Amino acid sequence: MDTASVVAVGRPAIRRRALARYLHGNLKGGEYTWAVAFLVPYVAVFLTFVVYPIVYGVWMGSEASLYRELFADPIYQSSVVNTVLYLALGVNVKMFLALLLSGFFMRRGRWMKVLLLIFILPWAVPQISTFISIHWMLNGEWGFLNNVLYKLFHIEGPHWLNDRWSALGSVIVSHIWKWTPFWTLILLAGRMAIPLEISDTAKVDGATGVRGFVHITFPLLANLYLICTLLSTIFLLGDFNTVYFVSGGGPANSTHVLGTLGIRNAFDMAQPRLGVAAVMSALPLVIPLVIVLMRKLRTAEVQL
Amino acid sequence: MAHLTRRSMLRGSLALAAAKTVAFPHVAKAAATTASVWFPQGFVQDEDIALRKAVADYEKQSGNKIELSITPFAPERQKIVAALTSGVVPDVMASNPTEILQIYAWQDRWVEVADVVETQRAQLSETALVSAEAYNNVTKKRATYGVPIRASIVPCHIWKSLVEKAGMKIEDIPKTWDAYFDFFKKVQDNLRKQGERKVYGLGFQVTANGVDPYQLFMPFLVAYGGKDIVTKDGKLHLDDPKVKQAAIKAVAYLGGAYRDGYVPPSAINWNDADDNNAFHAKLMVMDVDGTLSTEVAIKEKHPEWYFNEIVTHGIPGYPNDNAGKPVPAFVYITTGLIPKGAKNVTVGKEFLKYFIQPKVLGEFIELGLGRWLPVMPALAKSPFWQNPKDPHLKGYATQGLVGPTLPDHYVYNLAMAEVRNQHVWSTAMIDVAKDGAKPDAAVDKAFKRIEEIFAKYKMA
Repeated sequence: MDTASVVAVGRPAIRRRALARYLHGNLKGGEYTWAVAFLVPYVAVFLTFVVYPIVYGVWMGSEASLYRELFADPIYQSSVVNTVLYLALGVNVKMFLALLLSGFFMRRGRWMKVLLLIFILPWAVPQISTFISIHWMLNGEWGFLNNVLYKLFHIEGPHWLNDRWSALGSVIVSHIWKWTPFWTLILLAGRMAIPLEISDTAKVDGATGVRGFVHITFPLLANLYLICTLLSTIFLLGDFNTVYFVSGGGPANSTHVLGTLGIRNAFDMAQPRLGVAAVMSALPLVIPLVIVLMRKLRTAEVQL
Repeated sequence: MAHLTRRSMLRGSLALAAAKTVAFPHVAKAAATTASVWFPQGFVQDEDIALRKAVADYEKQSGNKIELSITPFAPERQKIVAALTSGVVPDVMASNPTEILQIYAWQDRWVEVADVVETQRAQLSETALVSAEAYNNVTKKRATYGVPIRASIVPCHIWKSLVEKAGMKIEDIPKTWDAYFDFFKKVQDNLRKQGERKVYGLGFQVTANGVDPYQLFMPFLVAYGGKDIVTKDGKLHLDDPKVKQAAIKAVAYLGGAYRDGYVPPSAINWNDADDNNAFHAKLMVMDVDGTLSTEVAIKEKHPEWYFNEIVTHGIPGYPNDNAGKPVPAFVYITTGLIPKGAKNVTVGKEFLKYFIQPKVLGEFIELGLGRWLPVMPALAKSPFWQNPKDPHLKGYATQGLVGPTLPDHYVYNLAMAEVRNQHVWSTAMIDVAKDGAKPDAAVDKAFKRIEEIFAKYKMA
């Protein structure tokens, strides 16, 4: 046997040893078994509650005919428009307000803390009861809002939930009202993390008020603001409660978004695959958002 | 740690598994005699109490165990769809909504229960028997997949007190279709003259939510001559001029009443419970709504309303059509279903056989205050239904069990269930009510959609 043959014969054994070393790390004997035993529950949970639902969902919505049926449905078409409007207005108006309000709540004083406590109440109360209350308040005949209008000004208020645009507007306003406090708190925390020496130095250089905000605060908050906006967009894409409990998707199915349409198709029409397809049709938007979000979270530059 | 080896771990696991089977033998035993049953929650608590009693009586008599799950109406429907999608099913479930029988029979998802129905066939109404059948697209045959449990029709609920406040009498209500409903427009006009700002004559569910709008539309379609839109052979007849005229008239009347201000504006976005709540709040003089839920919901809290202020129909049953002929009532049958994949079909069938005995079924319905009707005409003769002191029950039972009835069209063709769930008729009504569309144009649009839906369900 020449030297080359000896090496060839020994190579698989070397490979096996290298693989075992790679898998075992520095663990030996029983230690390795324990490591595996501890790992198994986590892997099982991950497979059961993350991988399986995703694969099952993709499988359920995998038939091309479902999408043909979906795209031909006029309710789906209006739902896509509603979803885009809901995202564009709901996320951006809310985040912009949160940005402004976080600056307001940076003021000092005990009364500011009390005001902040009151301000976060809409976020703290359970959302379903809140949205049902809003639905009732907006009722055209006996709702609180129109009764107040009539008692105070003898005005017959509009039927807020009877028209597509006013109903969708009500949904968007309800969402903004409910979630602005949460994002305000996040941005407030971001502002508080800006080192004092930076803002003090900026003040010495004359960057106060709007100039300070434009040149110092906002650039430092920009990454956080963007991440919050992306997260909020992803959350809102799957939102069900606001639309379902405020407008119910009505009138005449005109205010559905993809989340509520999916539930309608799956359960009201007993076509679960069509329901999954409605939600899956948002994936072309969700996947790029998640990729951008991941990239932003990995940003190594000095950002808040 | 050094003592633990892969072999010792495997040995330990096997020992634990073996010990479990010895320590808990009843688990295996229970599977043989236990059946899971799903039922929707009642509108009043008495319905659930009645169900629990029937189940407890069965358990006592048979020695079997029933795991009963009572879930609110809408979530139960979701639970059923989710179960049938995932394959993790109970042994028995009530059809909620009723057309779930036809929807999943098409996919061959039910166990045949003709043997269960056979035990009471002579007792059951013809409509109940037909409604328990469905077309199976795998076997290409119709078969009995449901066991009729209870029935409902869609009565008219009227505030007698509001009619009288308007200076009119219940006895003055006309007995032909259009005149009957026009009467309540006059009631509204009179009430408005008295300064009542927010009372409407008609509680029509001109909405695209829930089951109510379809169940409102269909009696109107039949009253105007459109009964044969789908015939018993499952064929669609949109080309029949009588059907088209009936659809146009129904859309025009229902949409027009809303457009003209005789229906609460919020009706356009009502859910199934909203009309009940609006009626109880006296927002409208009358409501057309399935079952006696409107009445029984307030019986305990407001007995004076139940006995003195609210009447069902105001006349014996539906008004006649405009030509003076009786209008049959649609009867919706709740059935007991056994899904394929159920673990204990034997106990499931045994439970259903017990449950549909006239004595058991009669007591179940009556303990539930009579919101639902029995599926056996003989049961309507009981003192409960014939009680002369009750202003609602006798008329309700007579209309649903003695008078002319018919099953819904989806019993003959599943496509009609999709027409119902896609709210095709609602869209037509709303087109007229809110968007000012001409009734014939709204009906043309609806017919086009119905044809598309029927094209998906081709029966052998």
